[in-house]
Amino acid sequence: MERGRRWHLIAIAMLVLAALVLGACGDDDDDDDGGEEAAQVEEFQSGTTMAELQDAGEITIGVKYDVPPFGLNNPQTGEPEGFDVDLGNYIAERLGVEAQFREATSDNRIPLLVDGTIDLILSTMTITEERDLEIDFSEPYYIANGDVLVPADSDIQTLDDLNGRRVCTALGSTYQETVEKEAPDADLKLIDRYSECLELIQNGSVDAVTTDDVILTGMVIQDDSLEILGLEYTTEPYGAGIPDGDTEFKQFVDESIAEFIDSGTWQERYDEWVGQYIPEEQQQGPPTMTLEEALKLFPLEK
Amino acid sequence: MSELWEVLTEHLPEFSSGLWVTFRLVAIAFVVAMVVGTLIAALRVAPVRWLNRIGGVYVETFRNLPLLVLLFIAFAGLRRAGVPISPWVAGTASLGLYTAAYIAEALRSGVFAVGRGQIDAALSLGLSYPKTMRRIILPQAFRTVIPALGSLVIAMIKNSAIVGASLVALPDLLKETRQVQAETAQPDEVYFWGAVGYLLLTVTATIAFRYLERRFAIRR
Amino acid sequence: MTYLFDPDNWEWLWTGNNFRFLFEGFLVNLQIAAIAIVFSLIFGLMLALLRISNRRLISFPAGIWVDVWRNLPLIFIILYLALAVPDAWRQAYSDAIPDFFPEALQDELVLGALLGLVLYNSAVLCEIMRSGILSLDRGQREAAASLGLTYFQQMRFVVLPQGLRRMVPATVSQLITLNKDTTLVSIIAIQEVVRHGSSVTGAGFFGGVQAPILQVFIVIGLMFVVVNLALSRLSRRLEIRERRRTGTTMKPVEGLEDQVALQTDTT
Repeated sequence: MERGRRWHLIAIAMLVLAALVLGACGDDDDDDDGGEEAAQVEEFQSGTTMAELQDAGEITIGVKYDVPPFGLNNPQTGEPEGFDVDLGNYIAERLGVEAQFREATSDNRIPLLVDGTIDLILSTMTITEERDLEIDFSEPYYIANGDVLVPADSDIQTLDDLNGRRVCTALGSTYQETVEKEAPDADLKLIDRYSECLELIQNGSVDAVTTDDVILTGMVIQDDSLEILGLEYTTEPYGAGIPDGDTEFKQFVDESIAEFIDSGTWQERYDEWVGQYIPEEQQQGPPTMTLEEALKLFPLEK
Repeated sequence: MSELWEVLTEHLPEFSSGLWVTFRLVAIAFVVAMVVGTLIAALRVAPVRWLNRIGGVYVETFRNLPLLVLLFIAFAGLRRAGVPISPWVAGTASLGLYTAAYIAEALRSGVFAVGRGQIDAALSLGLSYPKTMRRIILPQAFRTVIPALGSLVIAMIKNSAIVGASLVALPDLLKETRQVQAETAQPDEVYFWGAVGYLLLTVTATIAFRYLERRFAIRR
Repeated sequence: MTYLFDPDNWEWLWTGNNFRFLFEGFLVNLQIAAIAIVFSLIFGLMLALLRISNRRLISFPAGIWVDVWRNLPLIFIILYLALAVPDAWRQAYSDAIPDFFPEALQDELVLGALLGLVLYNSAVLCEIMRSGILSLDRGQREAAASLGLTYFQQMRFVVLPQGLRRMVPATVSQLITLNKDTTLVSIIAIQEVVRHGSSVTGAGFFGGVQAPILQVFIVIGLMFVVVNLALSRLSRRLEIRERRRTGTTMKPVEGLEDQVALQTDTT
């Protein structure tokens, strides 16, 4: 029996080792999906971020991994998908490099950009003056509105009703402060990722979730027993996050966004990711707001 | 240097409220862990085979399962299954049940230190098994394992941070630290004070248990 | 209760890529644990040698270092290091890591996670090793000294081989804890099993099967339990073997009662 048991252990150890090795080997590096060469890829001045990225052959973009329809990690492919992801791929194509995505939550996206782990933020990030101190923004590429999600049978109808109720939003989002202003008696529950808010409202631990309407739409799609109140109580212009002071890169990104819109790709992506899920009257076209106007919406408090 | 103090003075309310939440979380979880751990230990040393097995399954499950995974299962899972537990209950229960497995093992070795002889003697004198445990064995076993309990309390203080970071979303010391960090963006200073908070708790626990050890412990 | 066993809730398990995706995430955890234990052993040994030094000037600060890291929550350490590790180091990591490791490990943030795990576990392992070394009969060192061996030779030929051998079961046991601790790196968005689990639960968006959190995390839990049980069996057998071979056992290490599978099977 002694010997038999020992073989047991050896067998298990071999299995584990084999799994480890196979697991490592089995992961091929992602094949280059950008098969279609961009028509013309600009040459950039050396020393600019663009040139550096081209040398590296890839751009690392921070997106959300749990917020459909903007950024969601698809287990079937192991790759993120969504509107932000598509925009990221578009920018990468224009640069002629591969897009590498990494998860960027509301809490860690700016630190990740500031220390260079990622090159660009496309993470449903609202343009605010406070954030502008640490990083630069591109021109707005999407306008979302703040809204509130509740279970269909809830009695919460207005922002005021949130007072005294448990409300969920993300650590590091604009809503942390907004809720404190609009409903100071609300019991704010802060989590790392919006998918946790969804779980909390589904299991009844919170009475409401507040964040951008597109994120809420993603939640409703996953669970139609929830509904969005339609309050649209804030305007949240999304901007791409760019390292502070990098004016050439900002220019490149702005141009890319403009082309994304002008070429009709924006509308196409919008229809696919957002448009098909919401009623006609709520649909929108590409943003016309400028960065300056956007910054005025969330001025620094002092 | 002055920055360091500034961070503390400006955010003292957050840090102290977080510290208080952590303290309560650990205190309640400790009670849960002691109660459940004692029960499981009793199962583990019972002279009945299948009781041993049940205790064994409990211990092996909770000791091999990561606390974070347990939290997901307990909180999200139970609520979906219709059990309406609140975040506090989920947090303290998970931490408590998790630690109970370790307490059970510690007590078990404590009981062995007391000696099977005493158990057999008590049983042969006609005392029932529960009475034997309660009156004779466990009191001695507890006193033997005071040092072990001390380090388990410290482990609980550390594990409480996981509870706060999970989707249970209790505003404990770690969460408050992260919130202050989100507001001030000065990680070194902010995390320094967070660390001080945790060390305060662990050092206090260490001192408290050293005292208990001196007064009550039996050394074998 | 029916929610638990309802087959609809388990359908996700054999649909599409879901299980494979979870398993791949789990492998990441195991690999991180493997790398971390290697480095923790190295640093743990160095720390232990410092700690047992006769010179207070060396052993005292080493002791403080170890005590600080052992008393802080690991998740706290990981979160801090993710913010504080200089970019230069991260780049170095990113360049140094060999290509055959999966993508999730190529991520430069893994350095912060690894540093946290190593700093914490090396402190714990230091205590284990110290205990192993100290449990060695004093007579052996004195005998070695009287034979004219220098301190280093004593360490290398007499003390360490025996002392370290004793701590193998405890180290395997620590590896179990380390396995569980790797789930904490999910907090800095490293794509390991907990993150993959969350992705699977959200994947209802892509049409396809809804995967409820309870079932997904039960599966993840089972993965851990299986691997950890195997390790814990291994640890126990090693301990019994050691006891039979030398007739002595290691003193229970103080402060490690949160370890698994140590010293409690006296039956």
